[in-house]
Amino acid sequence: MTNKYYEFFCPVKVIAGKAALEHIPYELTGMAAKRPMIVTDKGVRAAGLLEPVIAACEESGLEITTIYDDVPPDSSTTVVRDIAGIYRQEKCDSIIAVGGGSAIDTGKAVNILVSEGGDDIAKYSGAGVLKHPLKPFFVVPTTAGTGSEVTSVAVITDEAKGVKLPFTSSFLLPNAAIIDPRMTLTLPPHITAATAMDAMTHATEAFTCMAKNPLSDAYATAAIKKISHSLLNVMDNPKDSDGRLELAQASTMAGIAFSNSMVGLVHALGHATGAICHLPHGLCMSLYLPYALEYNLETIREPLGELLLYLEGPEVFAATPASRRAEASISAIRKLRDALYKRCQLPRTLKETGKVTEDQLDHIAEMALDDGSIMFNPKEVTLEDARAVLRRAWA
Amino acid sequence: MLAKRIQPMVFQARRLYVELMFQVMGRALQAVSEVDEKVQNEARALPDGFLFEMMVMPDGSKLIVEHTGQGRFRYHGDKAPRPIDLSIQFKHIAHAFLVLSFQEKTSVAFANDRMLVDGDISYAVRMTRVLNRLESFILPKMVAERAVKEYPADLHLPEKLISAARIYLKVATNFVETVRA
Repeated sequence: MTNKYYEFFCPVKVIAGKAALEHIPYELTGMAAKRPMIVTDKGVRAAGLLEPVIAACEESGLEITTIYDDVPPDSSTTVVRDIAGIYRQEKCDSIIAVGGGSAIDTGKAVNILVSEGGDDIAKYSGAGVLKHPLKPFFVVPTTAGTGSEVTSVAVITDEAKGVKLPFTSSFLLPNAAIIDPRMTLTLPPHITAATAMDAMTHATEAFTCMAKNPLSDAYATAAIKKISHSLLNVMDNPKDSDGRLELAQASTMAGIAFSNSMVGLVHALGHATGAICHLPHGLCMSLYLPYALEYNLETIREPLGELLLYLEGPEVFAATPASRRAEASISAIRKLRDALYKRCQLPRTLKETGKVTEDQLDHIAEMALDDGSIMFNPKEVTLEDARAVLRRAWA
Repeated sequence: MLAKRIQPMVFQARRLYVELMFQVMGRALQAVSEVDEKVQNEARALPDGFLFEMMVMPDGSKLIVEHTGQGRFRYHGDKAPRPIDLSIQFKHIAHAFLVLSFQEKTSVAFANDRMLVDGDISYAVRMTRVLNRLESFILPKMVAERAVKEYPADLHLPEKLISAARIYLKVATNFVETVRA
């Protein structure tokens, strides 16, 4: 008997496809919620993405009690406290987060305060602090990448202390994730590309890092297949709602995969680069993915080789000798990045971003070494290794 | 029938083994921070007075060390002088036994959800590197390879033997001092 052991948990009800938003009133009513609050940001509102959500509720006689639409890109403890204040004042009983990672994380944090009480969200920071289920919480993602709709984590900045507070609890998982293709139809090309590559990285790292398990593997491979099939089609035909739905589902599946099997070096480098150079997360993922896979190659040769089937399809997989499949998988990812660069100039190297200087690489390497994700990377990363990967990713 | 009779003794032996290993590791952490420059460099990033704990849930064996500054650790036994800053908690004594008997690597135990981290995750990553470094020194290479993700390629036999001897000497001295006290 081996020591192999794993845990897998995802109680989120996924409501996906055409007219999915119209299921919100029924689902809320099923949880005895009558006064929902929407938490979103100005960009989502300006893009007109709230209208179908509100219309879907109103048509069923469910009024949205209040809307907070000023969530900043990096949400803070102050914002969370303010929104919780409005929630209480308006006597809301549930939260619908509509947006990307920041709006969703903010919704999760607000739900902690309004369910547990108090004004100091920092008090609930850490793992396993929450002991009770929270208020009904629904998520409507408007990007197809973060997977936050199925993760049990939120990160909120404590402005006063200048630190990012992590919150981890299975009670943060939403009751339902509503995946409706209308919500991503207007996503600009570079965000479509970067967020899809974020999902691709979630799935690839979930499948190749230390905590991989049979259930997360199934979600990861399905996500990679969907992204490989649909991403370039959607880039060429942004109004392709079927393709958009495929990407949105892939993002959710990749989210389920990585929240149960964690990620590795790509995320460690990406988190550090985001913190130091303020580059978008999805862009960092796309940028580092092939370089980190090359670094890990000899420890992940077998699972990475398997991914060729989902990246390139059965013909290419069958025609590639087993010993060359891992390298072919990396080539497929590089080819996809080249195609995205051609379509929307999504940077492939740090130099191409124009926002990173060579003298920042050491700082990025040092910070990446202390990132929690590095613990799950299959290969032990030293400072010199991290520097070498960054030098390769430079130009 | 016999197995049923033996079981309590097995459990007791396992508990004693884990307790002993925590005592050795706590003292060895203090010792390695006096001996190895790489460990000192890792520890320097921790705040002075930082308290680190490894324990078995819910209230089992534990080891507590403090970063006293300049990259040095002090072993406090199982009593913390202040609230703990970082705690790595095994969910069950069986999981602690798997790791401390080198049947499961620390990194694999994390990946397998055998342990929880309560505190700053970046400090937990750093302390895991310190523990790996310690295990690479004090265990025979064949055993260390089962305990750490990757045995350090730059750790050669002479350095390993000299450092291990110094660490074990300090651990033994500390044990004797504790008994005398």
